[in-house]
Amino acid sequence: MDEMTTDVDLAVRVEGLSRRYGPVRALDDVEMGMGRGITGLLGPNGAGKTTLLSILATINQPDAGRVSVFGLDPADTAQRVEIRRRLGFLPQELGFHRHFTVAGFLDYVAILKEIVDRRRRAEEVARVLAAVGLQGMAGRRIRALSGGMRQRLGIAQALLGDPDLLLLDEPTAGLDPEQQLRFRELLSNLPGDPTIVLSTHQVDDVSAICSHVVVLLAGKVRFTGTPAELADTAAGHVWTSHQRDPHALLSWRGGDNRWRHLGERPPAGVEVTAATVDEGYLLLSHTVDNPSTTRGWRRVGRRDR
Amino acid sequence: MSSDASHDLELLRAVAAGDEEALGRLYDRHAGWLTVRLSRRCSSPEVVDQAVQDTFLALWRGAETYRGGGDVGAFIWGIGIRRLIDALRREGPSMRWSWSTRRSKSSEVVVSAEDQVLVGVEHGRLAPALASLSPELRAALEATVLDGLTTAEAARLLGVAEGTVKSRCHRARQALRAALADAQGPTLPNEHTWGTT
Amino acid sequence: MTTPFPDQVASADGPGGHLGGEVLAAYATNRLDEVAAWSVEAHVTTCSACRVALRAFVDRDRLARNRSVLLAAAAVGEPGPARRLLSRVGVPEHLLGLLAATPSLRRSWLLSVLGVLAVVAGESVLANHLWNRGSGSTWGVLVPFLLVGPLLVLGGVALAFLPLFDPSHQLAAAAPFPGVNLLLARAVSALLAALLPVAVAAFFVPGPGWLPAAMLLPCLAVWCVALAAVTVVGATAAAVVSAATWVLPVIVVAASHPALAVVRWHAQVAWAALAAAAAVVAFVRRDRFEMGWTR
Repeated sequence: MDEMTTDVDLAVRVEGLSRRYGPVRALDDVEMGMGRGITGLLGPNGAGKTTLLSILATINQPDAGRVSVFGLDPADTAQRVEIRRRLGFLPQELGFHRHFTVAGFLDYVAILKEIVDRRRRAEEVARVLAAVGLQGMAGRRIRALSGGMRQRLGIAQALLGDPDLLLLDEPTAGLDPEQQLRFRELLSNLPGDPTIVLSTHQVDDVSAICSHVVVLLAGKVRFTGTPAELADTAAGHVWTSHQRDPHALLSWRGGDNRWRHLGERPPAGVEVTAATVDEGYLLLSHTVDNPSTTRGWRRVGRRDR
Repeated sequence: MSSDASHDLELLRAVAAGDEEALGRLYDRHAGWLTVRLSRRCSSPEVVDQAVQDTFLALWRGAETYRGGGDVGAFIWGIGIRRLIDALRREGPSMRWSWSTRRSKSSEVVVSAEDQVLVGVEHGRLAPALASLSPELRAALEATVLDGLTTAEAARLLGVAEGTVKSRCHRARQALRAALADAQGPTLPNEHTWGTT
Repeated sequence: MTTPFPDQVASADGPGGHLGGEVLAAYATNRLDEVAAWSVEAHVTTCSACRVALRAFVDRDRLARNRSVLLAAAAVGEPGPARRLLSRVGVPEHLLGLLAATPSLRRSWLLSVLGVLAVVAGESVLANHLWNRGSGSTWGVLVPFLLVGPLLVLGGVALAFLPLFDPSHQLAAAAPFPGVNLLLARAVSALLAALLPVAVAAFFVPGPGWLPAAMLLPCLAVWCVALAAVTVVGATAAAVVSAATWVLPVIVVAASHPALAVVRWHAQVAWAALAAAAAVVAFVRRDRFEMGWTR
């Protein structure tokens, strides 16, 4: 084992985690730790993000490996319940009973979260509605809500019971730009300062609000670090020029009419420029997709062997 | 004033019909004074808050309907004080004010002459008589006369037996009558208006 | 000491007849002597303006917080008469809240139960009527009805178990509320909701008078088998297995014996034994009910 095992501050620790669905390896020997702040789980669709989050949410069992949430083991029945008491979970596909009102749905989830007293439930429902800016919507039918409002309702239910760990699966999917900004504002102002893990395939989310990022590609962890460190992985691989460059993996023309290139090796004499988080992620994805081109700059975080 | 009253009636009707906005507006108009008034009878803000919420929920559920006659304020107070009694029963007796420590004399405020007239101090012959009662007797009168509670409800609010409430009210009436006789003032209101039933 | 008397509110009412801010403040902060406070209360009971003025002496945040709790509680909705009745006989309120979370589902399912039973009972009556014209009565016409009763119970249990019917099942699975309690609560309500129409319909089909009572044990047995099977195999396989424990005996018995032999008293003993055995299995393996942890 590596230094992770000794890091007691981590809310979530995962070691050697694997999960298969038939021949598909959804997760392959995943190791990572997640601490305070917001951790972004970045990867394309099908990279295993949802599987990983569902295992952390204790509703899915790994085939191999160990998971520890707040030092508790989800494989043990009693400890699993304890984890669930401290957990807020937004599944990727959150279904709603059609007839529910906003408050009725939250009341239902509050019962599931063992808030038995009716008055306490009403207080808790009012609290989370205010936290996501849905106060005044309590009596609305869910089917009458806009997509952005439903997303906020999904986060509101995750906040019930004041969880220490929030697992949000693709919380920004389907939001328009303004709603995305509002979502970021919401996450930054959450009461109680919980540990947050959110999965996304949008680099914007990660660079905007995440203190840590884990890149998951085809079931494997390919990077762990800060967003700035992810950008650094493409340092020296981004350059600009006045025309298209055949050596580049990707080239695009910016608003200033200059071409920007991302590639393994800039040609001699070009102007190398600072890389963005997007470019770090793109280069990483490309390297994994084309292992033949892999070279020494592969930074695989703690999984490097 | 009368337009306010009709506004309250409209709100009550809309609330009973399930209009949430009306519920919010009714709350905005009445929760404040109800909170203040209930706070004088219960030391725990949580219990008072519960009673206030229960009051409006009762209106919302149509469990209590206004049948006209009398002021809407009196109607809401009647619900509120009974919800407070229910909440006190749930929470236990420790939340009640102890009647002897309910207010501290040192912090009493002198009411201006103008206000004295307004609140009827010209009928002040009765006031010294009331003030001379012991806190327990005054509390019994307050619950049965001012709050309009039955003896049983008053007993629950004050945390004493029903018989105790009855006897305290009786003693209070006697004391008042004696005090007024001394002052040679006009008659006290008839005995039955003290409502000890 | 200033000691106004509460009686004279009316004179304080009317144009300009309102309490001064100082008096209201003293009253609201409990600094008014008691008799004066009586006067204030008697006045504000009927004076709208002074009531509104009192609002200023309550903490704004407190009022706002209570307002949102009130509106949330109002929007959660009121328990219906059935829920109030069950609550009165001692079923915990929060459990009823969970069950009530799927009423539209339950309603449509109950309707289909009633529909199927009506059709089957109607067919039996009709067939019996035609049969009677020919030869003597036989209970063979009851086979469709016999088959359908316990299967409807099974349908209700499937609704309780299959995530397909609960759009937010992932939330339920990740919540600390014990999954087994949730499933059992739903399964019990499904059993009761199906037993009632089955028993009522049994009165109307042309069977013997004891038929309604005789249907109860097989229904219960199939229900127990379904619960036990779910702890061993997947939900779909469990449905097939438990359906087979009823359908096969009915068909086999109907082929060689009078159809009702499958619910006569010696068969009832077998159903009772099966129900008990399945209940034991389900109880012993109750940890397996939890979603995602059944493997």
